Amino acid sequence: MTEDEKLVEFEARIARGEKIEPGDWMPDEYRRQLIRMISQHAHSEVVGMLPEGQWISAAPSLHRKLVLIAKVQDEAGHGQYLYHAAESLGATREELIDALLSGKAKYSSVFNYPTLTWADVAMIGWLVDGAAIKNQTMLAHASYGPYSRAMVRICAEETFHHKQGKEMIVYYATRGAPAQRAMAQDALNRWWWPSLMMFGPHDSDSSNSGVLTRWGIKTKSNDALRQEFVDEMVEEFSQINLQTPDPALRFEAETGHWRTGPINWDEFWQVLKGNGPCNAERLAARRQAHADGLWVREALAASAAKKAAVVG
Amino acid sequence: MSDTQWPRFEVFKQDTLDKPHQAVGSVHAPDGETALLMARNVFVRRPKCHSLWVAPAEAILSMTHEELAAQGGAVEEDSAEFFPALYHIFRKTSQRRAMTFVEHVGALTAGNPRQALSQAIARFTDAPAWVWWVVPEAAVTRSQDEDAASWFDPADDKTYRHQSAYGTVLPRPDRRQADSSPNTTSG
Repeated sequence: MTEDEKLVEFEARIARGEKIEPGDWMPDEYRRQLIRMISQHAHSEVVGMLPEGQWISAAPSLHRKLVLIAKVQDEAGHGQYLYHAAESLGATREELIDALLSGKAKYSSVFNYPTLTWADVAMIGWLVDGAAIKNQTMLAHASYGPYSRAMVRICAEETFHHKQGKEMIVYYATRGAPAQRAMAQDALNRWWWPSLMMFGPHDSDSSNSGVLTRWGIKTKSNDALRQEFVDEMVEEFSQINLQTPDPALRFEAETGHWRTGPINWDEFWQVLKGNGPCNAERLAARRQAHADGLWVREALAASAAKKAAVVG
Repeated sequence: MSDTQWPRFEVFKQDTLDKPHQAVGSVHAPDGETALLMARNVFVRRPKCHSLWVAPAEAILSMTHEELAAQGGAVEEDSAEFFPALYHIFRKTSQRRAMTFVEHVGALTAGNPRQALSQAIARFTDAPAWVWWVVPEAAVTRSQDEDAASWFDPADDKTYRHQSAYGTVLPRPDRRQADSSPNTTSG
């Protein structure tokens, strides 16, 4: 088969709903885009452990601490599922880790914001994980088998993250002390816009979307997913007397959609480029963790070598 | 062994005794014993596990439906040595969305992996095979049955890891709802 014929068959397979598996033919661009997308997703999970991880030692109760530890543990696991999926495309763990630690690799910009209060932890569960679930539910249909399977597994676990956060915010907003209600509103004020930006640039500005849609990776556009999220969240906030922090927000009767004010895309690109409030801190924490873990890696390698020597 | 690039081990999880081992993903580890521990942390945070197997990825022969078709539908002979050994056969039979990949369909004795694959294709004809994996028994490290309780049962108690432990029904705007949450903490 010529390359053109292979491409036709590849696209026909996707149209038939078949998963592309490791070992199957795929265009170089498909492989490249997926490695980029999956590794960014993996880095996001791992870096995402940091803003909440800081609150483990300051959780307000033992129960909250247990729940938060479980959530952060899950995120470590999610990173592992995704690195595995990227490796199935020929990337090595070493180069993926190096790309993150050197600052070359991108990860979701939402994790470059600080967690200033305990309510931030709850709001991240409701908003940030809620946005992630929207995206991941769509990606569970992706044409590449390992990525699709990682998404199904992650979605199942992410529901716990979403609900534990929502439950807390609902509590603070409806039954909490005035200080707790104020804390919940303050957290919403700071996390709303970064959460909207998680869905990526507007469709018209999204350079990678074309092939991703053509080859069955993205089946819904950034704007479509973002609008679903906005419509759901605005309704839910109003039910618990939280104010969506957007003076230009209006309900469009003709379409039934809530229309937001303009998103500050300058901020998005600046944060993505490395100029957000916590970019330096996040990268420093990852590098420190990697350096601090060196003795563990060396010990395990020595132990394995010893065992192999005994077996001969 | 380099700093971050340990060998990759594919992980197979058996949820309950009456279900087959299923491929769930992979871990990096310096050896099989450590890979089992990593596999538990990564893939068994929530209950329903009776047994875990790991095997080095490089020991596994993988063949997709498309790859097989490109070879004319039959496994190409190879000149690898013939030495009778036990091989585990895994197969993906569905295109439905799932979190597991190939699953164990049986074991057979063959002279080398490609011969094992040929035999498997001839023997296991009850369902369409989208992907075959051949895993040598000699490459498998497995959790011990007597360890299953101590390894996997503790996850059963950790119900706070389950989404069902959280109540998120919103109160009606005109009245406060009675405590719908199993968590009655004040913080």
